[in-house]
Amino acid sequence: MQTISGLVAEAARFAGMTATEAAAEGGHEAAHELPNWITLINRFIGDTSLGHFLHQWEGMIYAYVVAGVVILLAQLASRNPTLVPGKLQNVVEMAVEGFANFITSILGEKEARKHIPFLGTLFFYILAMNLSGVMPLGKSPTASPNTTVALALCVFLYANFIGLTKNGPIGYLKHLAGSPRSGVEWVFAPLMFPIHVLGEIAKPVSLSLRLFGNVTGEDVLLFAFCSLGVTALSFMNSPVGIPFQTPFILLAFLTSLIQALVFTLLSTIYILLWLPHEEEGH
Amino acid sequence: MDSSTALAFALPIGLGLAAIGSGIGFSRAIGSAMEAIGRQPEAYGKIQTAMIIGAGLIEALTIYAFVTMFLLQGKIH
Repeated sequence: MQTISGLVAEAARFAGMTATEAAAEGGHEAAHELPNWITLINRFIGDTSLGHFLHQWEGMIYAYVVAGVVILLAQLASRNPTLVPGKLQNVVEMAVEGFANFITSILGEKEARKHIPFLGTLFFYILAMNLSGVMPLGKSPTASPNTTVALALCVFLYANFIGLTKNGPIGYLKHLAGSPRSGVEWVFAPLMFPIHVLGEIAKPVSLSLRLFGNVTGEDVLLFAFCSLGVTALSFMNSPVGIPFQTPFILLAFLTSLIQALVFTLLSTIYILLWLPHEEEGH
Repeated sequence: MDSSTALAFALPIGLGLAAIGSGIGFSRAIGSAMEAIGRQPEAYGKIQTAMIIGAGLIEALTIYAFVTMFLLQGKIH
């Protein structure tokens, strides 16, 4: 009985976790992750209010730093576009073009042009955030549910806004009732409505939990093998450990890319599902 | 058996069971995708995209178990 009430309390806390509450947990979470430069600064300045602030807003600080890096890269690459591209421009153009072609193959030429800016931002931002956890002294902001829930809410609002403007208010409600056409479908429409609404809510929940779980799992794996390598040599007071985590860093690169791709791909599908049915062709 | 002991037994077993289920799902999905690519190599891109979406959805189930494990881990003393 106690366990069940505890579980409910945990679930409620997880669902309604605000930044401050998550930050209050910070000390407890940090035990599972590798140290980053904020941890080092904290060790240096000790138990001051600045140290507390940095520690509480660790994920936010990293998210902003990563966003800054992505913006800077994009600016540098596109500031002076030349016909024969330089190295940086070439790499960025290749990545953006590849991504644009990929989205176009799903959404179709006309729709893709409108949604590529949003989806591309999502993809490259999430990829950069995932990869910052692999970087030495880095931390993945996506390893905290706050970041992933925010991203998933963006997708949820964007997709529903698209649905509302493309179908109109009546079409929006009709879509939620399963686009009834024949008489039988109209009879079942009141039944389908709550199911579709629930499905709509389940989308951002599963999006955010998937990204959070995968990135956290990856970080915990790296931490576990790092600590294993350190404890393996601790009997002779060695300052360095055996780098057991090296193969898992390669695995982390792969998961980072796949998770960013899956998040963007599912967002694309959710947007596609909200577009009017005639263009979708099914 | 107190709740802490019960959790210490149940969490790894639950995660393992979820992983078994996902593994079966993955084997079916990826196996079929490979067969499809073998039959129609020119549809490689489309099949791969659909496979990745499916893999993401299957994988989410294990991740739910994993997140649950994370939430309840603190209750084991």
